[in-house]
Amino acid sequence: MYYVAKVNSEMCSTYKCNMCTLYCPEANTLMYDKEPKHGNKNGTSWVDEDRCKGCAICVYVCSDLLERNCIEMAMVTPD
Amino acid sequence: MSLKYMIPASKFKRYLPKDYVELVDYGPFGKDYADVGVKNMGTFKELVEEHPMCSGCWMAYYIKIIFAALPNPENTVTIGTAGCGRLAISQAAVPFIYGNYGDQNAMASGLTRAFRLRFPDIQKDVITIAGDGGMMDIGFSMTMHAWFRREKFTTIMLDNEVYGNTGGQESGMSIEGAVLKMSPKGKNFGKMPAMQLAITAGCVYVVKMSPTNINKSAKAIRRAIFAARNLGPTFIHVYTSCNIEYSIPTPDVFRDAKEMEKGRFAFEEFMTPEAKELFAKVESKKKREVS
Repeated sequence: MYYVAKVNSEMCSTYKCNMCTLYCPEANTLMYDKEPKHGNKNGTSWVDEDRCKGCAICVYVCSDLLERNCIEMAMVTPD
Repeated sequence: MSLKYMIPASKFKRYLPKDYVELVDYGPFGKDYADVGVKNMGTFKELVEEHPMCSGCWMAYYIKIIFAALPNPENTVTIGTAGCGRLAISQAAVPFIYGNYGDQNAMASGLTRAFRLRFPDIQKDVITIAGDGGMMDIGFSMTMHAWFRREKFTTIMLDNEVYGNTGGQESGMSIEGAVLKMSPKGKNFGKMPAMQLAITAGCVYVVKMSPTNINKSAKAIRRAIFAARNLGPTFIHVYTSCNIEYSIPTPDVFRDAKEMEKGRFAFEEFMTPEAKELFAKVESKKKREVS
């Protein structure tokens, strides 16, 4: 099991914000897709779960600093 | 490394590793800084690959900023030494040289001179990136002498105020009274004045900061590189906490960096009048400088 960040893309897309991607300590991990997808109005952040180390700095940025609560930490299994 | 060497023939591309192809197609090489700079991190393939640095490491974060801020990554060489930082620096798509026992600034001196002789028509940037131990303790004499000789390269000290990957010994940059795993009675002496030493030794541009503002961090890195190209040695002293040795919960690492910014890592910038003139000229162009 791994502890990784999960982005609520529907909520995230309402803000046009990529602050979490700018403060993730891991390169190429918390990405931002500028193109709207899956019926969302704007682009969203997304997590490459294979690379995420579960530090939750993105949660601090999104929830504590910006009060947007679009990211939460979750346990995932390899399959 | 040259940009031409990195771009594969189109028919050969399908046989190359995915990460390499992504780097060529979506990486920052040869592209405008406005599109692939720090502001757009997360939208392009960054130069740093997966590395074994700890979860939530602020040093790994600053290393990511260094590589995203490079004005000319295809003509840059980094030099480091033993310490946590080299674990990530060596995993970037920029040539890295490992200097033993803190000799990174001595090696950089030779390399910078060799580049100027071998490639007089190409601007090659040399950057030494090491921790507080490698830069101010073990490599102290070589760091200082490179500055005294006015060698034209950039020195970046990733200061976590401890020997992080050897178990938590005090370093010259640990603060007085710091209690660490391998200095249980607390450090008896104060923190070395690295910024003042750099100014005294002749650095033309010196910054001390805690990386909490991404644009400010990138600006300092780029200024240091531009000044080193033309004027002389430059130095960035940056706070990159060790969340393991100082027991900082990973979600609080950014908060800790902000606290440090209010204290001993408050932003300080020194530049000579020549450097000031140069920055005014370079920054007015507002274009990515590619030699």
